[in-house]
This record gives sequence, structure tokens and C-alpha cells, in this order.
Amino acid sequence: MANIGWDEFEIGAMLRTFDGKIDDIAGTLQEDRAYSPNSSFVASVADWRIKKPVFNKDFCIDCQFCWVYCPDLSIIARDKKMIGVDMDHCKGCGICVEVCPTNPKSLLMFNEHTDEETALAQWPTKEEKE
Amino acid sequence: MAFDKMELKDIEVWDGNFAAAQALRQSQIDVVAAYPITPSTPIVEGYAKFLADGYIEGEFVMVESEHAAMSGCVGASAAGGRVATATSSQGFALMIEVLYQASGMRLPIILNVVNRALAAPLNVNGDHADMYLGRDSGWIQLGAYCPQDAYDLNFIAFKVAEDHDVRLPCMVHQDGFMTSHTAQGVHTLTDDVAYSFVGDFKPMNDMLDFEHPVTHGVQTEEDWHFEHKARQHNDLMTKVLPKIQAAFDSFEKLSGRKYNLVESYDMADADVCVVCMGSSVETAREVATEMRAKGIKAGVVGIRVIRPFPFMEIAEALKGVKAIAALDRSSPNGAPGMLFNEIAGALYNTADRAMLCGYIYGLGGRDLTKKHLANLYTELQANVDAGKITTQLQQFIGVRGPKLAFL
Amino acid sequence: MLEIRWHSRAGQGAVTGAKGLADVISTTGKHVQAFAFYGSAKRGAAMTAYNRVADKVIMNHEKYMEPDFVFVIDPALVYTTDVTIHAKPNTKYIITTHLTKQELIASQPKLEGKEIYTVDCIKIAQETIGRPIPNTPMLGAFMKISGMYDIEFFKDSMVRILGKLPQKIIDANMIAIQRAYDEVK
Repeated sequence: MANIGWDEFEIGAMLRTFDGKIDDIAGTLQEDRAYSPNSSFVASVADWRIKKPVFNKDFCIDCQFCWVYCPDLSIIARDKKMIGVDMDHCKGCGICVEVCPTNPKSLLMFNEHTDEETALAQWPTKEEKE
Repeated sequence: MAFDKMELKDIEVWDGNFAAAQALRQSQIDVVAAYPITPSTPIVEGYAKFLADGYIEGEFVMVESEHAAMSGCVGASAAGGRVATATSSQGFALMIEVLYQASGMRLPIILNVVNRALAAPLNVNGDHADMYLGRDSGWIQLGAYCPQDAYDLNFIAFKVAEDHDVRLPCMVHQDGFMTSHTAQGVHTLTDDVAYSFVGDFKPMNDMLDFEHPVTHGVQTEEDWHFEHKARQHNDLMTKVLPKIQAAFDSFEKLSGRKYNLVESYDMADADVCVVCMGSSVETAREVATEMRAKGIKAGVVGIRVIRPFPFMEIAEALKGVKAIAALDRSSPNGAPGMLFNEIAGALYNTADRAMLCGYIYGLGGRDLTKKHLANLYTELQANVDAGKITTQLQQFIGVRGPKLAFL
Repeated sequence: MLEIRWHSRAGQGAVTGAKGLADVISTTGKHVQAFAFYGSAKRGAAMTAYNRVADKVIMNHEKYMEPDFVFVIDPALVYTTDVTIHAKPNTKYIITTHLTKQELIASQPKLEGKEIYTVDCIKIAQETIGRPIPNTPMLGAFMKISGMYDIEFFKDSMVRILGKLPQKIIDANMIAIQRAYDEVK
């Protein structure tokens, strides 16, 4: 948000999520919404991240635990199916990995610079119970 | 409309509380969130009864404290409703934190403050300690002198506060017991006339407008705080007084009753004058008239708008006066007194700086008698005759024990 | 300016009485004021209520009053409070008591030499309204002593003011007002 003067913004301690009028917000996907620059949705916090979660759809059971627990609403799900991680807003906290119940896990933390192909190639196998 | 109208006599004998409750009914408040406290209780009680009897379409929210009451008002106002409540004293003190939220969020809430002393010691009677506590909170503050004013100023308050160029909350002050529980003749407006003056509520940035989603009460840190506060102060300094004057003018056309930012009484040729607030203004007017019969050219300046303070208008009203008494009904606890300071500030850069003395009076409901005021005018005249202030600058009136004077 | 001070106990209806009287007088074009001091007093505590009546708007808000009339609506208050405080030489007293005027003055020498009228508002209220609420009978006695209004006009006005109460209570109040009007001495 530009550093404008005291006389240049709307009164009240308020910010608009959208610049103009919107309708059917519930029926519009997040990525299709015209958020205003004041919405934190348009700000990326990706550079906070040191480790990143990588998603392996081969083991995912779509339990939605990661979606529920993610503190930054960064798990992207459509029609109750997990489809990936919003890398603009994920800060790399690792909670999604912690709560993932599958064996092996469907989300694992890797170094930020590891590419997806390399990460998936290193995926562990099922751990047998002793 | 889904509510009943009430037939009123042209003149009803109402106390200040009932007059304010009737004004809230006629303004059709959407939400009152309240935690009643003496002596303001009958205002919100009155609203609740009118609501239960079908005279209002609205909502009464019972809460667990005055802090929650004002918080409820903030929520309801941000959502887009016409909102009001009432409080006094300790309750007002507990509301303080949220008062700053309301004004910073530019929410046009109306708060009837029935002025009462602040403990300790505990006391339900009236002084202006709570009013003074709120004076830096960014609210507009209007002062009533009698039940008629308490009725009329509520309409003025809604008209001004809800104006989209203003959008600031407004307190309507009346003296605990001496106005709130004193029944006098009140000239009424019919329901239709009163409502047409206030008008339909015009929401602005309301949270229930789903086509324009908005976040209220944002955190800004150093980046934006100063700009927001500067904007609020700018609007208080430049926009509010003209809007109040415009509301006073249109109210006069409607009712024949004239209000002014500063209420001057017999000031045209006054040598000595008293500046005060609340019900004392009217008593002082009566005494001023009696002093004139005794050859003292006495006048009264009543403060009608406490915030924003009518700095220029006060200086104008006091032009040519030789000796002034500023009456503060709140213990300044180590300072000369709010009115004394404001008036000194208003006069300091003018050509004819009058002799200015401060008086502390009426704490905790202590009576300000006509005799006190007559002595005060006599003292001011003695200053005029001597050509200098013959007393100390700050004196206490009506307190038992050895005379208290300072500075 | 006519000024009245009521001596009462919290709960006996002095505030309602003072406001009711103000309401009646207001309808005749005069200006009125009615107020009281009770703070956070409990039911039964001694309290005072006040009326001012004038031809012009009443600007005086001082609590101090030198009354033209003193109403005492509880019989014990002439002994436990000073009902003569700030009185003028010609202040008139209407006092609720079961005693005769002579017995009353003998029992409270402060009343000696004052213009005293007596009426047993408590007894009248108990026998008519069924509760010891002596406010409306006091106003009946006041109408007689002051000659302010015709008693029928006053009763009609009080019917309007008591409008929200059940008809039975209103009727009883009218009898109480009339009895006090007739019985005050």
C-alpha cells in the first residue's frame, strides 16, 4: 500500500477487501477474485520460508487434516480433494506434515531449493510396524 | 411501519432521562447495548420499555459490563445500524477504552452521559468528572442545561454524527439528578416531525453490505496511525462545528428553539461574566439578571459544545469583558481546571485579555446556590474596580472548612 | 414563584406526587420543576422532594429552597428531621398525623407559631387505596389549603396522570384526594 497522506484515504480504521462491487463471492474461487491491493491475499510471504512442504498425491487420502490445521489457509483443496500448497502464503511451518496421517506421509518438508521431481524421487516407503 | 406511534402533548412534564429516552424512541434506534448505572438507568430502561411495547423496531442487547456495552455498540454501528446507549461515572470510566475505538473507527454512536462524580469516595450525585474524562477521546460532546436540551440535543447529535462528512460518535451530557431526575416542561415534537429531522440512517462502509466487504478496526502500527489520528482531528477542527451550527439552524426552523455553539446571555455590554456548563448555566443566568438590578453588568457564557472546543467563538463571546470566572465542576487534581485552561488559551492571543479566575464548585453534587453566584459576581466586580485580580487565581466554592485558594 | 418541599420516606411516593402535581400545573400554562434528593437511599429512608411553580421558565437549579409550603407525608419525620429548615416566616405546613394540631405542636415545639394544617394521609390512604401511600391525599389537602384549583378539575387531571393504573386504584385515589380535601384542618 502506497504511503499516501492523511487526506487521501477513506475515513475510519477500515480497509476494503475489493476495490469495487462484487457479487457471488461464495461462488467465486479465490484465485478468480479481484482482491484489492489492501487484501493480504495479494501479498506474498514466500520469502519467510526456509523449508517447504511438498505434496505427494500418491499417498493422500483427502482427509483434509492439513487444510484444517494450516494457520495460513495455504492448503488448496477443490471439491474436498487436496490439490496442492499455495506457495505465496505458506511460511513453511510444517504443521501440515505433522498432522498428515498417511504412511508414508503425503506431505514432507524439503529444503526450499529442492525441486519437486527430486523430492518425489526421495519419498520414503511405507514404514512397517514392529 | 411495524411499530406504533405515540401521541404526545405539546408540553410534557419530563425529567432529563425520560426526555432522552423519548428522543431515542423517536429517532428509531436499531440497537441499544447497555449496562445500566445510576443516574442514567432510566434512559436505557425507557428504550427497553418502548421496544417491548412495540413503539420501536430494534434490539436491546444486555451485556455484562459497560466495556461490553460500548463494544456491542461498536459492533452494531460497524454493521450498519443506528446505535445509542447511556452511562454515568464508573460505567463511563470502564467504557473509556472502547470510546477511543468508536471514534477512531468513525462510528456515529450516540452516548447519553448523565454526569456523575467519580469514586472514591463513592457517590451517585452529579459533577463533571466523567465528562472531563472523555474530553480527549475524539467524540463530539454536547452539553444540556435542562430536560428540554437533553431531548433536543439527542436529535442534533444523530443529525451531526451520522453526516457522512462527520462520522464521529457524539455524547449528549446532562447533569445527574439536577437534570436527569428533575421534571420540567418539555416542548415535544411529533413522532413524524422528529424522525424527519433525524432522517433515515444512511450506512457507510457497513459490514452487512456483502457486495462491498470491509475490514473494520485494522492494525496500522507507525505506518498509518498518525495519518488516521490527524484526519480525525482535522475533521473535528474543520467540519464538525459548521455541521453542528447547520443542525442548530435547521432545528430552529423546525421547533423555534435556538441553540448556539456558545450560549451568550446578557454579554453585549457585560463587565463581568461567568463561564460554566450544565444546569449551572441557567442558575447563573437568573443571578446575572438579579446582579444587573444591583448595578453590576453581569453576563453568562454557557458552553454548549464541549468538544470540539469552540475556541474562536469563546474568544469572540468574551470580547470586551473585564473580569471572567471559569467554573469547573471537576477536581483538576493539581492543575487550574479545564475551562480555565481552555479560556486562557482562547484569550491569550487576543488584544483585550480580561482578568481570568478559576473556581472549582459542585463536586459530588454539592449545591451551587444563587448566593454563591451572587458573591462570585461581586468578587469579579471588585477585581474590575481594583483594576487587578484581588484573589488567588483558583478558589473553591461551597466546600466546608478553611477557605481553599491556590495560585 | 411558588416553592414546595416534601418530606417523605423513599417508597411513599413523594417523587411521583411532586411530578404529578407538576404535570397538573403544567397543563394550566404555568412553568414547573419537580426534583428530589435520595441518592442511593433505601426504601424507608428519609428524603425530600421539591416543586417550583412560576409564570416564566424556571432557570434556577439550586437545591437550596426557602419553601412556601412544606408537606410532611410521614408522621414520624417531624421528630426525626428538621421540617422547618430554611423556612420563611409565612411558610405553611401540611403535616400527616393522627394527632390534633395542639397535640402535634406540644410534641414538637419547633412547630410553635407556624401556620400548621394537619390531615392523616396515612390513615386515609390505608382506608381507601389499601396501602400507606400518602402522596395523592396530600395533594387533596394542598388543593384545599392553597385554593390553587377547583377540586373537581384537580381530580380529573389526576385521573389522566394515574391513567396506566387499574381503574379500582384510580377510583380509590380519587376518594383519598377528596377525603383529605375535606378532612384537612
